[in-house]
Amino acid sequence: MIQLGTSTRGALSRERDVREAYAAHSGELYGFAVRSLGDSGLAEEAVQETFVRAWRAGDRFDPKIGSLRTWLFAILRNVVIDLGRARSVRPGVAEGGIEPSVEPLDEALLAWQVEEAMRRLGDDHRRVLVETYYRGRPYAEVAEELGVPEGTVKSRVYYGLRALRVVLEEMGYED
Amino acid sequence: MKTRNECREWRELLGAYALGHLEGDERAGLEAHLEGCPGCREELAALAPVARMLPHADPARFELAPTPPPELGRRIAATIEGEKQRSEQRRRRRIFGGFAFGGAAAAAVAAVLLLFVFDGSSPDPGQPVRFTDLPEGISISAKLEPHAYGTEIHMYVHGVPSGTLCRVWLRGPHGASYPAGTFRYRWGDDSDAVLSSALDISRTREVVVDTGKRTFVAPVNPPGATATTGQEEAT
Repeated sequence: MIQLGTSTRGALSRERDVREAYAAHSGELYGFAVRSLGDSGLAEEAVQETFVRAWRAGDRFDPKIGSLRTWLFAILRNVVIDLGRARSVRPGVAEGGIEPSVEPLDEALLAWQVEEAMRRLGDDHRRVLVETYYRGRPYAEVAEELGVPEGTVKSRVYYGLRALRVVLEEMGYED
Repeated sequence: MKTRNECREWRELLGAYALGHLEGDERAGLEAHLEGCPGCREELAALAPVARMLPHADPARFELAPTPPPELGRRIAATIEGEKQRSEQRRRRRIFGGFAFGGAAAAAVAAVLLLFVFDGSSPDPGQPVRFTDLPEGISISAKLEPHAYGTEIHMYVHGVPSGTLCRVWLRGPHGASYPAGTFRYRWGDDSDAVLSSALDISRTREVVVDTGKRTFVAPVNPPGATATTGQEEAT
């Protein structure tokens, strides 16, 4: 779990804390907002609204209950729902070239988590998972392409999955 | 008795096994090993949930890592600063309002203080924006203030249902939209919403407010231009 340095209740009530929280989490929040809204302008709006709401409700944040990251994601989730409603009332507002996600929001959150974790993996691990799992290529073929024994591809798949689990746990994922 | 190396060899197959990729002798051999090895079974149990999550991801997005534009942080800071100033202003109003009810002398003092605080030291430099031809019962107005980061927008909305989510953006010379944020209209709250957008005031041509069911547009006149009429956009 990623925790902010401050550990007292109301950790977001000061602007300095908002700046720290922004530095630590804005990238992830924005990434998920783009993933679920499919529009960079709306995603900016969603992240802005998230931090403003977090600041307003800063006194209610209690790190004993959950991490700041989890709390911010919960606020963003509500903001995305609000924006999604507004957009469904008035279609055609979205701009930009990114395809919007059509999945339900929790599915989009799960998808984004795995995609973000994949981005944080080392190249070797990500590569074997992409080739063998997502592209469904035979291990022998991938091994030949990489110039390593087939057993090495298998062991990289194993260590890749382990690393993925560690990254997901760092991101707050629990079984 | 299993040796550490034997376990390690089997363990390195657990990833392919968890993904359903292991076949034939290797698969049978690993399953036989798992029967008698609680440590490897535990390791498989840790990997299985991760393997089950993989189908949810879209590999085409692994390379895409959108990053927020650098001005977003400044915009958020400006919005929060604006809200802070407004809540401070409201707090002062409440304090001075309390004085006014305290008696005639106190009221006179409060009146002087109010004059000093709100008329003397808080000049209102904003550029007013008029929304006209509004439906009956709805009033919308805005004031724009120039800043280094872009434009601060003070939005006043009345008459839409309480709780309405209002989205605001500015439009530039070629119709490009710059989001300014969202706010909720609450019945009985006569405060304005302070928003900000990255678009410079000199390049701002229109202020657009989307209340969900309706979108309202008001022109922003460059200095020296004649006033035009705001309108409701067809939705």
